[in-house]
Amino acid sequence: MIKRLLHWVHKAEDALLILLLLSMIILAGVDIIARSAFGGGIVWIPPLLRVMVLWLGLLGALLATRTREHIAIDIINRLAGAQVKRICAVLTSLFAAVVCGVIGWHSKEFVAGSLEYDDIAFARVPAWPLQLVIPLSFSLMALRFAIQSAIAAVHGVDDESAEARSAEASA
Amino acid sequence: MSILVPLILLLLALAGAPLFTVIAASALWGFYQTDVDLQVMAVEIYRVAEMPVLIAIPLFTFAGYLLGESKAPQRLVRITDAFLGWMPGGLAIVALVACALFTAFTGASGVTIVALGALLVPALQKAGYRQQFNLGLVTTSGSLGLLFAPSLPLILYGVVAQQMALDTPVSIDDLFLAGLLPGGLMLLALSIYAALQPREHHKTDHTFDKAEAWAALKDTAWEIPLPIVVLGGIYSGFFAVSEAAAITAFYVLVVTVLIRREISFEKLPGVMRDSMKLVGAILLILAVSLASTNYMIDAGIPEQIFDFIQQHVSDGFTFLLLLTLFLLVLGMMLDIFSAIVIMIPIILPIAVEYGIHPIHLGILFLANMQLGYFTPPVGMNLFIASFRFNQPVMTLYRATLPFFFILLITVLIITYVPELSLVLL
Repeated sequence: MIKRLLHWVHKAEDALLILLLLSMIILAGVDIIARSAFGGGIVWIPPLLRVMVLWLGLLGALLATRTREHIAIDIINRLAGAQVKRICAVLTSLFAAVVCGVIGWHSKEFVAGSLEYDDIAFARVPAWPLQLVIPLSFSLMALRFAIQSAIAAVHGVDDESAEARSAEASA
Repeated sequence: MSILVPLILLLLALAGAPLFTVIAASALWGFYQTDVDLQVMAVEIYRVAEMPVLIAIPLFTFAGYLLGESKAPQRLVRITDAFLGWMPGGLAIVALVACALFTAFTGASGVTIVALGALLVPALQKAGYRQQFNLGLVTTSGSLGLLFAPSLPLILYGVVAQQMALDTPVSIDDLFLAGLLPGGLMLLALSIYAALQPREHHKTDHTFDKAEAWAALKDTAWEIPLPIVVLGGIYSGFFAVSEAAAITAFYVLVVTVLIRREISFEKLPGVMRDSMKLVGAILLILAVSLASTNYMIDAGIPEQIFDFIQQHVSDGFTFLLLLTLFLLVLGMMLDIFSAIVIMIPIILPIAVEYGIHPIHLGILFLANMQLGYFTPPVGMNLFIASFRFNQPVMTLYRATLPFFFILLITVLIITYVPELSLVLL
């Protein structure tokens, strides 16, 4: 049951990411053609593209969390023994979970404020649905880091690739 | 207490915590202490959606991944060999030029070593170069080309510097121009070293072959317009960076997937996901560092560091020397993207106080970082090459050492001759 749900969450994330990237490429192309061929661009494309960058970035970050590919200093993994690695993995993932959780929690207020004041992103599109990606992605990242921390505590991190796989399967 | 929190954060970073969480935590801690509502983090993160130039990052990264997965690297080596292979040390120079071009387009994420190294190391060996030299050359070339448009680190430096609201504006177009001569100097120095290399035999030396040159040209017919349009467009000021990125991504997607069909529809989602992981990692670090930068500037931290340094270092010459040493160590520990977003907000205001031009600082910063990629003992590309070529890391330490010293000299020239970076502006 949970596995099925996770499977669909992952599929949805991937699909959204691919859809966003493809539409971004197409829209950016259309914008250039419109501007160079017809002298004027389409007003809503540039701001939409900019929001898409934010969405792509945060979805990409979610994906990087799933497979533990965030940019980090990698000295411990090269030099330390299994036990030290394990303790580091538990602590750093836990720390990451807390930080993402705090950001996710507080960005909820940011979106709520924007909803309350009817902030407009561009044209007549309200800003809050576009901003929703911030609390959502950070909360999901917090959850994933927390699960990874627990996995490292229970299973250890002897085999890096196996760990990445199990993290992907369960996060 | 005030020293305890940064110390814990530093330890967590060294223990392998994702860097964005460390940067975010330092910003959160700073805001918390000064009673700023923490939703300011979301405000800062949302600013990613307010910078037009950032559109270039996903688009260029995706195009770079597509090129890396296609057979473009083979064709690139073929055509550079056909046109440059006849010169003394030809094939080695081919390797350098091909790597520099490829790195400029794909960002220095080690993809050059993986994609081009596999072709170049056996080819160099066949041409009679020593194995040691081949490994060193390819490992070094993995970060060569960072200073040429449209490299992502240059763009990112521009983005970060623009946030600092300096008196001298830092435009990305200027950075692209500024990188030309310093990057060219590095390429030249390494080419001379390559031309002087002893070789076991000269069997595979060839003269310029018109038929092969023509065949190679036809083979690369779809790729040739790319650097011409993109570099021509950027350097002539015809395109903005984000437009060049849009054209590149669209064109590369159509050519590799629809025309050449080197990447199947089944493989495409995987390439997209992989490239967006890197984009996510970079943008997230950038987003949270916008917040930490904002806090640091409000708190006047660069001024404090400047005051401290100035008590000990009075002239620009010594400052630059210390900066070079510091950046070498930094470049070894941190990847280039984190190094830019974490260190530039601190270093740039200080460097400006010492009379260093912001554009010159960007070029010398990246030149140092380029060296850091293969500075022993922990430069990232040493490990990528060790993994890729199945050689012990110690072998790569020895192999890259002569290249390291050659590039160190060019980095010092770039650092102490600002005209090299600024004359084209």
